[in-house]
Amino acid sequence: MHHTAIPLLSAVALVAGATAVSAQSITINSFGGAYEEAHRACIIDPFTEATGADVQIVTAYSADAFAQLRAQKEAPQFDVIHFSGGQEIVGAQEGLLAPIDPASLENADDLYDFAKENLAAGEGPAYSIASIGLLYNTETAPQAPTAWKDLVGGVYGDRLVLTDIANGYGMLGFLMINQVSGGSIDNIQPGLDAVAGLLDDGALIVNTSPEIQQEFAQNDAVIAAYASDYAYTLRKAGLPVKFVQGVEGTPASFITVNLVAGRVNEELALKFIDISISKEAQECFANALRYTPTNATVELSEEVAADVAYGPEAVAGLIRFDPITIEANRSAWVDAWNRTIAR
Amino acid sequence: MTDRRENLILILPGLLLLCVAFFLPILRMLALSVEGEDGRTLAHFQRFLGDAFYLGVLWRTVRLSLIITFVCAVVGFPMAYIMARSSARVRLWLIVMVILPLMTSVVVRTFGWMVVLSRNGIIPELARDMGLAGRSFTLMQTESAIVIGMVQVLLPFMVLTILSVLSRIDGRLEEAARTMGCTFIQTVRAVVLPLALPGITAGAILVFTLSASSFITPSLLGGSRIQVLAASIYRSVTQTLDWPFAAAQSVILFSGILLVLIPYIRQQSRHRG
Repeated sequence: MHHTAIPLLSAVALVAGATAVSAQSITINSFGGAYEEAHRACIIDPFTEATGADVQIVTAYSADAFAQLRAQKEAPQFDVIHFSGGQEIVGAQEGLLAPIDPASLENADDLYDFAKENLAAGEGPAYSIASIGLLYNTETAPQAPTAWKDLVGGVYGDRLVLTDIANGYGMLGFLMINQVSGGSIDNIQPGLDAVAGLLDDGALIVNTSPEIQQEFAQNDAVIAAYASDYAYTLRKAGLPVKFVQGVEGTPASFITVNLVAGRVNEELALKFIDISISKEAQECFANALRYTPTNATVELSEEVAADVAYGPEAVAGLIRFDPITIEANRSAWVDAWNRTIAR
Repeated sequence: MTDRRENLILILPGLLLLCVAFFLPILRMLALSVEGEDGRTLAHFQRFLGDAFYLGVLWRTVRLSLIITFVCAVVGFPMAYIMARSSARVRLWLIVMVILPLMTSVVVRTFGWMVVLSRNGIIPELARDMGLAGRSFTLMQTESAIVIGMVQVLLPFMVLTILSVLSRIDGRLEEAARTMGCTFIQTVRAVVLPLALPGITAGAILVFTLSASSFITPSLLGGSRIQVLAASIYRSVTQTLDWPFAAAQSVILFSGILLVLIPYIRQQSRHRG
């Protein structure tokens, strides 16, 4: 009952939203919670101020948002859509996203090159980056981690939290565990074996970030592989949590802002994208949530800079697992993962 | 003739809604489930039915739904009996109490259970304090958690269905049984239970279908390591984006529920006919 109800309700909500608002309005997705708050403060409100247009927000994580975008192929309901798991590459290939002319974005020149590589193909610019590392409780962890290898060492037992690979960050964390266990992006079996071992030791698997907070706050969890911004979220919630980058490298998730094909409000949508990649918006985002900026002109305080990859050199050191390979294998990997973790 | 036309007009809105919101999607789902790269195929069904992993998911769904239904019936029948036999005032309050949980979202209620059942929640803590469990004992991400959460969500459906049947049973029948020398238990077993059976069956079918297709509570309380069919369908739709396979799984779930309904419909038509 519920599984059909959710897409149906969101479809109804979208239709209702679309008919109720004027032409001076665009529909976007955001990721909920603190992210959505910052999104509102840093990008959405300034956009409304600059253009007078309303923004309808649908809360949907990347995978759900992409499923909706695909389902609405004939009559898209989003104007601008945000992804954090590389979905824009497949979306662009399937013609669901529209190409962007860099000349139509005032701030495009300020972006690092990697953030605007495939605008012409339809992949929107990356407006921030989440870097994946180790979050640990500085007071209760038996040992401070320095490397990804420490995760699989058996030190943390049932106080280790893993994230399901259905979650974009979970996938990147898993690929890194796989890599330090001797696997590669073409062979995830070593990673699966490592995860099976961790589960035997009592590790927990969660699906969403709020569950990580719950595990840390209520269930004595001491370590998790997740994004740097979330360490800051946990700190703000009063937990003594620190973020460290594993010595083997830091997988990165590009958060992109994409133009949906086949919509009438293209000009407004482009304006929204332009504001998303502006210096002001990215500074605001980094200050609020600790995301790594992609705009080279951004200036951060020392305190904030310590929590993110800041500056051209630091940014160049991030690892990006090939999203195309991930997308091509996602189905098989998720299946293999489910079998590995199933009780 | 006018009677028939009036009836037709009266039934039209419901029929239309059923067509648009039920039959069309079901047809679409059926079509999608046999969609292959080159024409129609049964490969998605073969993949499901030929794989011990998915059969395990199916079996867990059926097993948990049966347990949930059984617990709901065992808890719900006495409750409905007391409600039916109490004064109108007390009954009203009891009904309000049963219905009240339905007024909050199922997600909110499930989050409540997550707090209660988690490692530092009241129940595992109590179990630890009494020396019944180890340090890391938790009820979260167990099948028990799913059963507890689902019973709370679905109990009102069972209670209200049984109540509607029980309140129509003539109280004098029980009095007669008692004067003939039956004990209370014997009265319930020999008189009330058989008469309430249609209500219990209807409630059981309602609870079984709802729990077999429910998705939010099992995935929040059971976690991703304990998969049920609805969660597996959700994964296929949103994560692996394999919609034909999701449709095939939905068809299997749908036909399973239909199989449960057929004997019930037969029984009902025998009663009337």
